[in-house]
Amino acid sequence: MSALQTETGPQPVAAPRPIAVEMTGVEKYYGKFKALSGIDLTVRKGEKIVICGPSGSGKSTLIRTINRLEPHDGGTIVVNGITLDGSPTSVQDVRLECGMVFQQFNLFPHLTILENCMLAPRLTRKLSKTQAEALALKYLERVHIGAQTHKYPSQLSGGQQQRVAIARALCMEPPIMLFDEPTSALDPEMIKEVLQVMEDLAEDGMTMICVTHEMGFARRVANRCVFMDQGEIVEEARAEEFFEAPKSDRLKAFLAQILH
Amino acid sequence: MSALPIDFALAWDSLPQMAEGLVTTLLITVLVLVLGLPLSVLVTLARMSRSRILSWPAAAFVVFFRGAPLLILLYLVYYGFGQIEALRDGPLWVIFGSAFACAVIGLTLNHVAYMVEVVRGSLNAVPAGLVEASAALGLTPRETFTYIRLPLAMRYGLAAYQNEVVMFTKGTAVVSVITVIDLTAVANELFEETYDPFTPMLTAAAFYWCLVNAIRLGFGALENHLNRHQRREQAVKPTTPAGAAAAAAEPPAGAPVAPLRRMIGSDRRPVPVKAAAPALSTATPKEHAL
Amino acid sequence: MELFSDQFNGYLWQMVQGAYITLQLFAAGFTLALVLGTLIGIVTLSRNWLIQAVWKTYASIIMGVPSLLIIFLLYYGGSAMLSGLFGTDRSFDVTPFGAGVTALTIVYAAYVAELVHGAVMNLPKGQFEACSALAIGPVAAWRHVILPQLTRLALPGLVNIWMIVLKDTPLVSLAGLNDLVANAKIAAGATKEPFIFFIAASLFFIVFSALTLRLSARLEARFGRGLAEVKA
Repeated sequence: MSALQTETGPQPVAAPRPIAVEMTGVEKYYGKFKALSGIDLTVRKGEKIVICGPSGSGKSTLIRTINRLEPHDGGTIVVNGITLDGSPTSVQDVRLECGMVFQQFNLFPHLTILENCMLAPRLTRKLSKTQAEALALKYLERVHIGAQTHKYPSQLSGGQQQRVAIARALCMEPPIMLFDEPTSALDPEMIKEVLQVMEDLAEDGMTMICVTHEMGFARRVANRCVFMDQGEIVEEARAEEFFEAPKSDRLKAFLAQILH
Repeated sequence: MSALPIDFALAWDSLPQMAEGLVTTLLITVLVLVLGLPLSVLVTLARMSRSRILSWPAAAFVVFFRGAPLLILLYLVYYGFGQIEALRDGPLWVIFGSAFACAVIGLTLNHVAYMVEVVRGSLNAVPAGLVEASAALGLTPRETFTYIRLPLAMRYGLAAYQNEVVMFTKGTAVVSVITVIDLTAVANELFEETYDPFTPMLTAAAFYWCLVNAIRLGFGALENHLNRHQRREQAVKPTTPAGAAAAAAEPPAGAPVAPLRRMIGSDRRPVPVKAAAPALSTATPKEHAL
Repeated sequence: MELFSDQFNGYLWQMVQGAYITLQLFAAGFTLALVLGTLIGIVTLSRNWLIQAVWKTYASIIMGVPSLLIIFLLYYGGSAMLSGLFGTDRSFDVTPFGAGVTALTIVYAAYVAELVHGAVMNLPKGQFEACSALAIGPVAAWRHVILPQLTRLALPGLVNIWMIVLKDTPLVSLAGLNDLVANAKIAAGATKEPFIFFIAASLFFIVFSALTLRLSARLEARFGRGLAEVKA
């Protein structure tokens, strides 16, 4: 909606890959408060997008509309060809396409690590117990939690819990992963272990949309960075340009604050 | 007059009578518990239902039977239903003609009304984030209720349930007013026979104290069993509410946070990149001792 | 019996007078329990083993025994206890009202004390540390920092205790107090209209609790002022 919004961000790859997530003119209100206004965002398969912005800028709301944890009030969202129109089947289908990792981990406290990972595959993918267990172990190994599968979430450190949460999402083998500030609730010494797991995932070619303030991670991993403020996408650019040559004043101010 | 106001010989002699009273008290307690649990779940579901035909009567039930003192409820059931001519001649008189049954009915109505709030409160205590996580994994609302909300609510609600069971067990002491001979009634009878104001009451009090503490021990064991592998939760908790508060700063509030925690947590700034620990091996994360 | 006949109105008037006695009993019992309980709650924050032992015994007995038994004990045994305390040469008259107020105070002071305890424990330790670091003395710290926060933390629990005390007051009628419930019972027996009088008595309690709940919601909003600002 504003002139600042780049309509054709520099494409990271020559041949356009199929579209994973397409948001057009997405609006979201909380009462009279406009949380998202005119969001246009296209994410292609295999892309890694980092969304950042000051608190209250709508970045969490944006990522939560993609799997309809927040229903949007205007515009369209299409995820892997499924249009989110609010029908129960489309919601269910979209949630099977997207894995999500939360700031608060949100592991189920009454289930062991293994059971946390097995629950959804057994219920929604109708896997047998042995199949689900094999799958869970595979992904728990991948996030380096293989040895502690019979513990309960409360017995793990924050970083370990977040890695389990990543494994739990991966067990649904989703083509797209959504990360909502995955390291914001972690103590500094645990951030790196979680970021490392996310970088490994990125190398494997997973489509990732990530709300984070970890600018080092953004530089290393992101194809594109998106800066949001007051419910709008203010600037969208390739990672190098985003950090080295920010165009808008708002992004400059934000980067100055966050990078000291 | 001895220094202690208790006549031990009288206390000893009254034990058989007291035990009989205790059996009545226990019987009433157990009957109300057994009747009350399924009824409270039903009324809670009606109360939480979206249909007003179900939720309004359930809400009215709760307001009346929770708001009225137990003593009045017992009078109402015992004297009130006794006045209804049709009931006196009908087959239901077996129930309403018996003081014991009236006591059980009155207590159950009161207990269920309290339990509706307990059940509802524990269902609502399940953090919104967990329900969201479950939805994000593609579980249907029904699956989320069965596998996430209900099992967690049972754990959260246990303390409140214990509280309610203890309160209402002590509450059974009033059933003597409608001629049921429970522990308190026995103590009263003995007082009228002996005019000893202390011994019968204190003996009965000792019985109640043991009963209440047996209930507490039972619940303690149950809680240990349900939380058998989660004893370290306390130690980890501090990081969670603070973080949840940061989430609450964004418009959609995350898990419910204690108000004070919210105030403190919102100061938390996003952690700068530099702060990451320099040499932390991700392959072998630091193990936390149990 | 006809509604609003002279006889009916007479019983109704008796119930109104009973309600007045119920309210007096409730107000006295709750206020005394609140004051005594807060004091006990603060005193028992001490780690002194004797204070702890006395407190634990008192709390355990009160929380393990029906309040009805304590009312009976004080009513039947009250004069003997007073004689034991102040000498046998004087005789003491224990009224049902006196016994009732004392019993409610003793019982619910324990609950209030426990509530105060819980609220202090729930205060972040940082509040005390910040006071020390700012060189605020203990008295000033309690007066300006701790107590205002305690009031807010303890308010929901206090409302709960308020409701329980209210619904416990009719028990004193069993010791012979002519309160609302006792008069309702007399009216119900004399007129053979138990439903009218008992439901009227219930409605008194329900309406009174509803009104106070509304008040407490306002109070909570007031005490929560500072927090609402932070949230936005």
